[in-house]
Amino acid sequence: MPKEYLTYVRKYADLYEGERDIFIKDLTPGPRKYDTKQVRAVIARSAKDLSGADTLWVRSEMGVLDPQPWAIKILKELPDYVKGRPYTDVFSCMNR
Amino acid sequence: MKDLRHFIGQLEQNEELMRIKKEVDWDIELGAISRRVYDQYGPCLWFEKIKDYPQGYTVINGECGTWRRVAIAMGLDANTPLREIYEEYEKRIEGRLQPNIVDRKAAPCKENVFIGEQADIYRLPAPLIHEGDGGRYIGTWDAVITKDPETNWTNWGMYRFMIHNQNFLAGWPQTTSQFAMMLNEKYVPKNQPMPVALVIGSHPLDHMVATAPMRPGVNEAEVAGSLRGEPVDLVKCETSDIMVPANAEIIIEGEIPTDAIVPDGPFGEYPGFRSGTMAEGVAFRIKAITHRNNPILSMTALGAPVDDSSIAASLTAAVGMKLGLQRRGIDVTDVYVPPEGVTHLVIVGVKTGGIEVTKKVLDFFIARRVMVSKVIVVDKDVDVFDMKQWIHAFATKCHPGRSIVVEHFVGKSNALTPCYDAEERRILKGAFAAFDATWPLEWPKENIPPRATFKEIYSQETQDKVLAKWHEYGF
Repeated sequence: MPKEYLTYVRKYADLYEGERDIFIKDLTPGPRKYDTKQVRAVIARSAKDLSGADTLWVRSEMGVLDPQPWAIKILKELPDYVKGRPYTDVFSCMNR
Repeated sequence: MKDLRHFIGQLEQNEELMRIKKEVDWDIELGAISRRVYDQYGPCLWFEKIKDYPQGYTVINGECGTWRRVAIAMGLDANTPLREIYEEYEKRIEGRLQPNIVDRKAAPCKENVFIGEQADIYRLPAPLIHEGDGGRYIGTWDAVITKDPETNWTNWGMYRFMIHNQNFLAGWPQTTSQFAMMLNEKYVPKNQPMPVALVIGSHPLDHMVATAPMRPGVNEAEVAGSLRGEPVDLVKCETSDIMVPANAEIIIEGEIPTDAIVPDGPFGEYPGFRSGTMAEGVAFRIKAITHRNNPILSMTALGAPVDDSSIAASLTAAVGMKLGLQRRGIDVTDVYVPPEGVTHLVIVGVKTGGIEVTKKVLDFFIARRVMVSKVIVVDKDVDVFDMKQWIHAFATKCHPGRSIVVEHFVGKSNALTPCYDAEERRILKGAFAAFDATWPLEWPKENIPPRATFKEIYSQETQDKVLAKWHEYGF
């Protein structure tokens, strides 16, 4: 069974296919559900394009769920946080 | 009343609390129940069995969600009229009561102590409150305590914090908040992490104080003591010298690094929408968790009014504004922040009106951070606590062409205001409108329209005559 993850973007259009660093929340049921980690991963719009991938659900800045999930394959885990001064935009720092 | 547990007993005696014994899922279900009960003006809820958690780990929602519960928290009769609650609060916050410093052995919040890797945030039943929220918000009805390293001033504030993972919380005290100012001015320049303590389940008035707009330097533990009518017991944190309420249910100790950021939000916030910025959170590195036996996690399923946040701010913000306006020399009679307006709308009563006074009121509100976006200024004969009266004054006395003053600004607006677009929120761009619903000072007295109520448009002689025959009319 593929695992399920969740990520947030400002706009759905901000998400692009390929390799990228991303914060994901683990949706495995239980007391640690929604645990967040930063990973380097390959993501694709459809599971058909990424064999053996897990499921990545996407919500917008306002929390609205994209009904069609993406696919994700985690390459490696990254630190818990992004280097940056408090109150700077996490997304901008990740894209540097 | 020493703590939340005593308060729960008082709520039960006044039939203001409902215990939910059926197991409830912390994942959305608990939040959904809480929100529905707010929508129906229902009781405070105590969830006694939470899925995935042992018996005894409970959650309480809505402890100050009505004026009756606020009155009970203040030790007043539950039916105390709103104006009297305001007057009593205003009187008490002017006082100061030195806190008692207690030994950790005498502090209930130290009954269970977990430090370093032993501090597992997932042992606490933090809820995912709204479907679509960015995480499990463990800090909603909280008090976040930080300390100025130069002056030792300790600030209490109510800020949202969610679980990021085992090691971090993510939060977003607004960039104009005292939390952010202390971090950015006192810790970031020295590249020193800022110690912080997140207090959950303290005496309800401690949380009310955390929502109050106090000036820097004011010792909020002393104010909380004055509000309670007895000193607050404080105890030192395990990992810093921050002092926290000893009878609180849960304390999460940590620090804010100056070189780390984590995504925060989105979250269904106090204006009643899931608005605001996302992914600009501060990282709260967890260093210790201490809690009472059978800890009670206090929360508020924030949203459309009325709930704890809109009630608390209605009181604490209004009185803070009244005192601030008076310090500016504005002859204020009363200030009311209707909970339904979620601190975006304020009603100010003045002894002498006119557009110039309204402009002075506006200047006060936009001087620093601008959390409010609209103020209605009314004459002294309008009871600001009576919505019928100030709506009537606004609708009829505010000239649409010459009685509305608008100011625009950047860098100090409320990023949670739902009508601002995404770009405005990011750069804190906003506007403030003051509505002058007072009679122009230059109008001759004889040209001011009399209000057509029984008490105002009829002479005393006519009133007396009618009242004397009232029963004879058949009433």
